[in-house]
Amino acid sequence: MGTAVKVKTITMREAIIEALVEEMERDPSTVLFGEDVGKFGGINAITKGLYEKFGGQRVFDTPIAETTIVGAALGMAITGLRPIPELQFGDFVGIAFDEVFNKLGKWRYMHGGQMEVPVTLRLPVGIAGGAGPEHSQSPQALFMHAPGIHIAIPSTPADAKGLLKTAIRDNNAVLFFEHKLLYGMKGDVPEEEYLIPLGKADVKRVGTDVTIIATALQVHTALNAANTLAKDGIEAEVIDPRTLAPLDMDTILASVRKTGRVLIVHEEPKTGGCGAEIAAQIAEKALFDLHAPIKRIGSPDVPIAQSIYLEQFYRPSENQIIEVVKELLEY
Amino acid sequence: MAEIYQKEIKLSDYRKEDLIKFYREMVKIRKFDEHLIRLMHEGKVSGFYHSGIGSESVSVGSITNILRDEDYIFYNHRGCNQKIAKGVPLSKIYGDFLGTVEGTTRGLGAGIVHSADPSRGVLGQCGTIGSQFNIVVGTAYSAKLRGTDQVSVCYFGDGAASREPLHGSLNWAGLYKLPVVYICENNGYAISSTFEETHSVREHLADWAWGYGIPSCVVDGNDVLLMQEVVKEAVERAKLGEGPTFIEAQTFRHRGHFEGDAYDYVDKAVLNDWKENRDPIKSFKKKLLENQYCTENDLLNVDEEVEYEIHAAIKVAENAPLPEPNRIFEGLYA
Repeated sequence: MGTAVKVKTITMREAIIEALVEEMERDPSTVLFGEDVGKFGGINAITKGLYEKFGGQRVFDTPIAETTIVGAALGMAITGLRPIPELQFGDFVGIAFDEVFNKLGKWRYMHGGQMEVPVTLRLPVGIAGGAGPEHSQSPQALFMHAPGIHIAIPSTPADAKGLLKTAIRDNNAVLFFEHKLLYGMKGDVPEEEYLIPLGKADVKRVGTDVTIIATALQVHTALNAANTLAKDGIEAEVIDPRTLAPLDMDTILASVRKTGRVLIVHEEPKTGGCGAEIAAQIAEKALFDLHAPIKRIGSPDVPIAQSIYLEQFYRPSENQIIEVVKELLEY
Repeated sequence: MAEIYQKEIKLSDYRKEDLIKFYREMVKIRKFDEHLIRLMHEGKVSGFYHSGIGSESVSVGSITNILRDEDYIFYNHRGCNQKIAKGVPLSKIYGDFLGTVEGTTRGLGAGIVHSADPSRGVLGQCGTIGSQFNIVVGTAYSAKLRGTDQVSVCYFGDGAASREPLHGSLNWAGLYKLPVVYICENNGYAISSTFEETHSVREHLADWAWGYGIPSCVVDGNDVLLMQEVVKEAVERAKLGEGPTFIEAQTFRHRGHFEGDAYDYVDKAVLNDWKENRDPIKSFKKKLLENQYCTENDLLNVDEEVEYEIHAAIKVAENAPLPEPNRIFEGLYA
């Protein structure tokens, strides 16, 4: 954000609510639904006040039926509405997998480009509070394999608001992943209306020695690690792709060519995480700019334990990042 | 429990031109199908086709003169019947099967599924059978929220009725009183497994809907006029905001599930009975002639006109070019 922009400090939860309210006021064809999103305001309190503001037709509680929620969203989208469904936990995308993987991104294409599918599906994800193996995952990378879908995964209140507004206005399906531990995190958000384009990464910290590419909560872990490393004279550049599809490889490659050292950090399992694709593209396009092997940190390839004590060990830590960065600098 | 729909129908309740129209539409569907199978045998079209022969009355009876262009349908796995009745040009459907740019997908290819014509309310179909149950509650909710009287009709077979989404869909449609008409084309078989082997029902599939508080009935799907009557009532209810209806139309397929299916799992005597005594076109023709609504010659003229129309459509579809290879990169994003 430019220095002249007037800002306010709010949580990501407040930023998301602002985006929803602004877009629903702007476009009467928007409709929001999901489990307990109405009067109750959502289990993460993301839809508080919307039912009262927009009424029970445009903001409604659904039965516990994820396949129907996403399928209905598709039906609404191809007949003139702009649905914003919520899955209570991102993990439940498994229940609606046919609708998300086989339908949302393909409906337009496989029917000859005759329809538009402006669905924004919100999915709260991430390890938070001992929720266990089916309420803690970060399944976003699965959908990098599903052509036609956009994937947003913001790390700050400002990004969440700007990206969500763009997602809602976009005439394609967008999966909007929100890390639950970020809901309460505060940040500066412009007072004036703004949009953030899909497919534009953000350099969260400028550095010269190593490039750290991180998503969601891990952007903050990476920034903390970078500040610690700076005390040892190591300047890390931290890049947040913000959307995995489209993926802004230009920004990533420019940084890689500058630093020659890359670490990718995400909360989803290392195998097949978004880091796998990003690393492959870096290897394809900038291998000879590298001074060291590409490194990745993800959660281990085992289900997430329910224990609130054990779950912390799945999450990439500041120490892990510092350790790997120092290893990269030995080359 | 679902009622068995019965009604005394006099041909004189219908205008003669409408009766001839029903006949014409059913013949069009059958001839379309027969010529498509011919194209398969000529090696021009792949064998992934589910023939709708024997059930034309289910589609004509539920669409012709009842549904408007702005009403939505999701067709079933024998869905060319419904696409044709809804008015999708024959050349476009043939074009999808042949993979030429004349097709509704402009060369991507389609047929059993993925042909679409939104201008006529044909919103496409899922390759994963039965997933339309979820989508149709969205189109119906949309019509309701936008304040239109558009009706969404969801076609499916008894096989698709096994899918879990049917129950999610019935729950939503009943709960939100959505303008949906469910039309189950029950031909007794999924592929080889029978309806009885794969469904737990009191007696009929339509009984399930009764459990959701949705009016339901079982009807002889091979009686085109009976279908007209029952569907008109359901569509009227939907338009008046009285919610969904579930209609189980009993029918039988004359051919296997797919072309090449030996179809040896059905009792030959049963199949012959349906072909000889319960063929929807034969029966309707007999009724028209017996009641002297038209002459044999009148109907032969219709047959010939339709035959000509089919040939012309195939010519248009065949003469259109195949797409350029880069067609695959077009139309992914809006």
